[in-house]
Amino acid sequence: MADRLLDYSGLKCPYPILKLSAQYPNFKKGEIIEVIGDCPTFEKDIIAWCNRLRKTILHIEKQGYKMKVKIRI
Amino acid sequence: MAGNLCPHGGFFECNNIFCEYGQKLSEILHSCSNVIEKLAKGDTSDKIEIKVKRYDIQRLIDSINNLSRSLEDLIDLNHELAIGICEHFDVLRRIQEGDFLAKASEDSPIEIVRMLGELINRQRDRFLDYINKIQQQHKEILELYTQEREILSNIGVAIMISEEDMTLEFVNEEFERLTGYSKKEVEGKMKWAEFFAEEMLNQMQQYHKLMRIHPSLAPRQYESKIKHRSGRKIDVLINVGMIPYTNKSVASLIDISERKKIQQQIIHYQKMESLGSLSGKIVHEFKNILSGIHGFSSILLSKIEDENLKVHVKRILEITERAKSLAEKILIFSRKEEAKEAQNVNLNKYLLNFSEFIKTFIGSEIILKLEIPEKEIFYKIEESHLEAILMNLFTNAKDAMPEGGEITLGLKEVCVDMEYSYTHPLVKPGKYVVLCLKDTGIGMDENTKERIFEPFFTTKPKGKGTGLGLSTVYGLIKNYEGHIHVYSELGKGTTFKIYLPKESRDCLPIDKQSLIGNETILVVDDDPHIRQYLISFLKGFGYKVYEGKDGKEAIEIYRKNRHEIDLCLIDLVMPGLGGIEVMRQIKNINPEAKIIIMSGHPLDLKDIVSVEKSCLPEEILLKIRTQFI
Ligand SMILES: Nc1ncnc2c1ncn2[C@@H]1O[C@H](COP(=O)(O)OP(=O)(O)O)[C@@H](O)[C@H]1O
Ligand SMILES: [Mg+2]
Repeated sequence: MADRLLDYSGLKCPYPILKLSAQYPNFKKGEIIEVIGDCPTFEKDIIAWCNRLRKTILHIEKQGYKMKVKIRI
Repeated sequence: MAGNLCPHGGFFECNNIFCEYGQKLSEILHSCSNVIEKLAKGDTSDKIEIKVKRYDIQRLIDSINNLSRSLEDLIDLNHELAIGICEHFDVLRRIQEGDFLAKASEDSPIEIVRMLGELINRQRDRFLDYINKIQQQHKEILELYTQEREILSNIGVAIMISEEDMTLEFVNEEFERLTGYSKKEVEGKMKWAEFFAEEMLNQMQQYHKLMRIHPSLAPRQYESKIKHRSGRKIDVLINVGMIPYTNKSVASLIDISERKKIQQQIIHYQKMESLGSLSGKIVHEFKNILSGIHGFSSILLSKIEDENLKVHVKRILEITERAKSLAEKILIFSRKEEAKEAQNVNLNKYLLNFSEFIKTFIGSEIILKLEIPEKEIFYKIEESHLEAILMNLFTNAKDAMPEGGEITLGLKEVCVDMEYSYTHPLVKPGKYVVLCLKDTGIGMDENTKERIFEPFFTTKPKGKGTGLGLSTVYGLIKNYEGHIHVYSELGKGTTFKIYLPKESRDCLPIDKQSLIGNETILVVDDDPHIRQYLISFLKGFGYKVYEGKDGKEAIEIYRKNRHEIDLCLIDLVMPGLGGIEVMRQIKNINPEAKIIIMSGHPLDLKDIVSVEKSCLPEEILLKIRTQFI
C-alpha cells in the first residue's frame, strides 16, 4: 500500500511531473507514493524524473496509456 | 495506387463501394485519422508509411508526418524543460534546507536550463564560501571567548558581572572560592547584595546606582566585606567599572584579609616600638631624678642624728629603691642593645631544671606538662633573661587559672620558610628556636590581646598586677631579635609562642681538637683576601696548603703534585674556568680526588660536596675532616 496517491489522469505531459515536483517537498523520506497518469509520454517522464532525482521505482502497472507507478521517496 | 481514373466519375463522386480507387483512398484516410487522433493525445510514436503516386495525397501524408515530427520535437523540448525545472527546483529546495552537498546538473541540452544549473551551483559555492567564512569567524570568536573566560577564571581575583537590578550574570571560579557558592547557584539567580556583609550594603547599593547615573562620581575602588557561605567575613578590595554600552558592571574582588592582618601586625609593632622609645626616654629622666633623690636622701641620712627622723629618711630611700627597680623593668622593655653576658645555654637542660623549680610555685592545682625534644638545643642567651621571660609567662598562666588547670611548656626548632614570612613580614625566614607556653585558663578577648604588651596594661586588680610582665618579656625577646605570638580564646586558654632566631654560628658545639689535620690542601679562589683567609686558618689547624689563583693554575698545580695533594677546596664562581669545570678536569686526572666546592650561597648539587663561604672556619674544617673519615 502506498502512503500517498497522486492521480494525474487527464493531464497532459509535462504537467504531471511539474505537479509532482511541486508536491515533492511535502513528502517524507522513505515514504512510498503512487502516481497515476494517462498521457502517452507519462512513462518516459516519470522514469526520467526518478532517474534524475535518484528515486527508486518499485512497480509499474500499465493499461493502455493509463499507468500506475509506485515510487520510494 | 493505379494511375487509372475512376470509371464512375472520379474519387469523390463514385458510389461503387467496390471501387478500387475508393478502397485505396479509404485506407489512406483511415491511416491518417489514426495518426492524427494519436497526435491529438500527444502520442507521436506512429507515422504513415503508405506511399502514393498522387501528388496531392502524398503531400497530405507527408504533412501529417511532418506535423508529427514537429510535435515530437516540441514535446521533447517541453519535457526537457520540465524535467530541468523539476531538477533545479529540487536542488534549490535542498540547499534551502541546508543540504550544501546538493548540486545542480549542468548537462541539459537546453542552454537556458544548463545556465540555470550553473548559476545555482555558483550561487551555492558563494554561499558555501560565505558560510565557511562565518564559521571560521565563529570559531575564532568562540576561541577568543573561551580564552577570555579562561583568563577571567584564572586571573587570580574574583570577578563578578552584575546587571542593573544587581543580578549576577557571570562569576568566575575565584568568586566561587571566595564565597563558597557555585556558579550554578549564583549566575542569573542571585544578586550581589546577598554576598556582602550587611553593614556594607547601604553604601554599596548607593555606589551601584551612582555608577549608572554619574559614573565619574562613583568610586572605582573601595574596601568591603564578603560574607562567605560559612558566615565568615572576608575583607576584600573591590574594583568596579561599567561595561561600555551596557547597563552592566564588572567588579573584581581581591581578598585583602591577609594583607589587613599584616598591616595590623606592622601597626602593632610600630606602636610597641614608639611606646618603647617613649617610655625609655621618660624612665631615663626619672632614673636621674631618682638618683638625685637617692643621693640626697643618703646624705641626709648620714647627717641626721634624730632616730625618729632617720626612720622617715630610710622610708624615702626604700621607696626610691622600689621606684628604681620599677624603672629598670620598663627599661628592659625599651632597651635595644645586645645582651652582654649571653652564653650558650642548653635549653633542654635549662627547661627541665626550671620546671622542677616552677612546680612548687604553680602549686598542685596546676599540672605541668613538658614537651621537650630528645635532641639538645643550644641558644646563646643570658640566663637571667630566660628566667625573667619564663617567670612572667608562668605567673600570668597561673593567674589565668585560679581554679587550676594545665600548663604545657614546649621547646622545638623550626625553619621559617619564605611563605610564612610573606604573611608575617616581620619574621625573617630561617631557623628559629620556639618556646611555647600553653595554659587552659580564662583566655582573653580581642581588645585585651591587642594591648597585653603595653607597659602598665593590666586587667588584674590593683595590687596584683603591674602590667609590666609581658612588656618586659617583649623587650627581652626583641633584644634577641625574636618574636612573640599570642593565640587565645576566651574561656579556653592562651598560648604564647616565642620565636628566637638561630644562626648556625651559635649552635655548633665543636671540639676544636677534632678539627686539626696534617693533610695537604689545594685552595683555589680568585679573591686573594679569601684565599689568604682560608690559608691562614688551614695552616693554623696544621694543614699544608697549595694555592691557586684561578682554575687553570689549579689544574697545573694538581697535575704536578697530585700524589701530595689530599683535597681541593675550590671556589664555585671564578673568571675563566668555573669551580665545577675545574673539579671535572681534576677528576679526569684522578677520579679519586677529594673535592669540596665553596659557594656564596647554599648549594644543593648531586654528588658534589659543597660548603658555604660565609660559614665559620670551624664548619669548613669540619667539612674537610668528614672527607677523611
Ligand atoms: N596567660 C594569660 N591568660 C589570660 N590573660 C593573660 C595571660 N597572660 C597575660 N594576660 C593578660 O595580659 C595582661 C598583661 O599581662 P602582664 O603584662 O604580665 O601584666 P600583669 O600580669 O601584671 O597584669 C594581664 O593583665 C592579662 O589580662
Ligand atoms: Mg604578669
